[in-house]
Amino acid sequence: MPPTWHPMHLMHRWKWSDMATVGIAGAGLLGRLIAWHLGHSDYEVHVFDAASGPHPAYDGRGAAAFSSAGMLSPLAELDRADPVVVTLGWRSIQLWEKITALLPVDNELSGVFAKGCFVRRASLLLAHRGDTSATHRLLSRSLLVSSDWPAPEVLDAKTLSALEPVLQWTGHAWRLDGEAQIQPAVTMRLLYADAHPTVCWHWNAPIEHVEPGCLRETTGRSRSFDVVFDVRGLGARTIENSTESNIDVGQLRGVRGETVWLHASGHGLTRPVRLLHPRHSVYLVPHSADRLFVGASEIETEDRSGVSVRSAMELMGAAYSVMPALAEARIDRLDRNLRPAFPDNAPRIIVESGLIRINGLFRHGWMLAPALVESALVRAKLPTFSRLDIPPVSPVTEASHG
Amino acid sequence: MDGQNTWRVAGVELASRFLLGSAGYPSPRVLMESIHAARPAVVTVGLKRAFAGGADNGFVDAIHQAALAVGARLLPNTAGCRTAREAVQLAHMARELYGTDWIKLEVVGDDYTLQPDPSELLDAARTLVADGFVVWPYCTDDLVGCRRLLDAGCPVLMPWGAPIGSGQGLLNPWALRTLRERLPDATLIVDAGIGAPSHAALALEMGYDAVLLNSAVAHAGDPVAMAEAFRLAVLAGRVAWKAGAMARQDFAVPSTPTGNYALGPRIS
Repeated sequence: MPPTWHPMHLMHRWKWSDMATVGIAGAGLLGRLIAWHLGHSDYEVHVFDAASGPHPAYDGRGAAAFSSAGMLSPLAELDRADPVVVTLGWRSIQLWEKITALLPVDNELSGVFAKGCFVRRASLLLAHRGDTSATHRLLSRSLLVSSDWPAPEVLDAKTLSALEPVLQWTGHAWRLDGEAQIQPAVTMRLLYADAHPTVCWHWNAPIEHVEPGCLRETTGRSRSFDVVFDVRGLGARTIENSTESNIDVGQLRGVRGETVWLHASGHGLTRPVRLLHPRHSVYLVPHSADRLFVGASEIETEDRSGVSVRSAMELMGAAYSVMPALAEARIDRLDRNLRPAFPDNAPRIIVESGLIRINGLFRHGWMLAPALVESALVRAKLPTFSRLDIPPVSPVTEASHG
Repeated sequence: MDGQNTWRVAGVELASRFLLGSAGYPSPRVLMESIHAARPAVVTVGLKRAFAGGADNGFVDAIHQAALAVGARLLPNTAGCRTAREAVQLAHMARELYGTDWIKLEVVGDDYTLQPDPSELLDAARTLVADGFVVWPYCTDDLVGCRRLLDAGCPVLMPWGAPIGSGQGLLNPWALRTLRERLPDATLIVDAGIGAPSHAALALEMGYDAVLLNSAVAHAGDPVAMAEAFRLAVLAGRVAWKAGAMARQDFAVPSTPTGNYALGPRIS
């Protein structure tokens, strides 16, 4: 199929030749965010993706961001993630708050997202009385990170019940102040829909080769730009390693994640809840007034087939144990996708002249995306998020190479 | 010192008495670095969930390469299997893919404790031994059950120290000592439940031939440093066993004479 051009092209009078041009390989979360930002910064942007269109198919392929909970939970991620991921996570929360404030209102938003697709509200961390290992590890690691960040606050049963009456929990509970959440599907749609008319979306256009200033489609057609971004997921490993940056894209691997989407009218849950469990990590996240997201398995395989019985039972069993009212919830969707990850599960930013790569966000796409983009923009001397009225920070280098 | 540490399973000499599991690490890189620090004889890898849908992501191969780099062997395990049939099927798939007859046999009978199912375990062991496998059975510390597994042709026994992942250490030292005393010629490995290097050292001090552990390293604050700690503890425990610990007694004996006892206590 031919590339799909944004229809708004014809309605505006920009002189393409006067603008700096940007090519972006990948129309997932990073691609949309960069396109949205640079389009509004007077760049001519072309986005290429193998997907057939901007909307999710939930077929185990396509942008992993659509299959995500949208938790912006740096503290809770300390269980296993590097502290630098936490640093980036806090920065992303600041940026998402500003970015989403500029996005248009969406009629599909409801429940905790009634006022917009970003909400900052303390999340909850729960652990069974007997499950001390993960709890101890998380809390001890939270003491290692900056004292600038809020420490987990222990909740007794009465306080927990007052915060979230729909939960029935007698185990350990902590409140994680400062964390936030974002509505993934709506934000993805809005970043696309609100992109400046100078952004052109090329669907059914997988990129097979990326080099400074040039993207080559699988059809063999090469496109030249002033600067190109490679922000693909697992697709990034199809390119040869760059000798200049020593990027290890060949080491990208897919890590399977399975999720359950529930329909529960008036469920009443108002914040993300994470259940620490020694055998699996489970979180329960409200996405609207009547929809809840339960995630996620983490399996070292690139199998994209349907959700397994075991994973579905574990996820739903855990959700039901925390919130018994879910017994009569309906299963909207069983979803799965692959998280692109490097061997250390940390992302990479590579900046060369004419080429910027941001890859391997693993399961932290929403939590890291704006902070990584900001860091890459600063290094590449491209316009930062200045219109967000938030001062840029120094590029983060600890979690990235190049 | 290294000479005291070698042992053999099915004719293969193993240089370390530390066996390491590969699940639950913060990242594959931390796992690889932990393997390097542990220098284990064997690295176990669970295959059930990875095999279920195919589409390997390179994780097992990476473990295999890291194991080979330190002279360790890959030991596929059947974790997650509930029946002998499942375990046998998985063992055959593992042999086909990784070219090894060695299989760690796990057949769980209870979800809460992950306790082995003695009946299914024995059935699977008999079948796999007949099929030419070198079977490393994860079992309880039940003496009779262990004898049956030896009779089935298992070259090693791997009784639990405590439930998998619990980190409780050796919950029933009496049972473990009994196994050691009653099965003096068997190769015995404490598998599961070890939480600290001292637990591993104790198992070796009791005369166990090796220990197998996973969570104690994977879930440590610094897994790589903990892998090193376990390597040293296992070595210390084995050397202590060979050296022979002193017998306990109920009264104090000063290690340094402080007076002329032949003439009675000194009076100042």
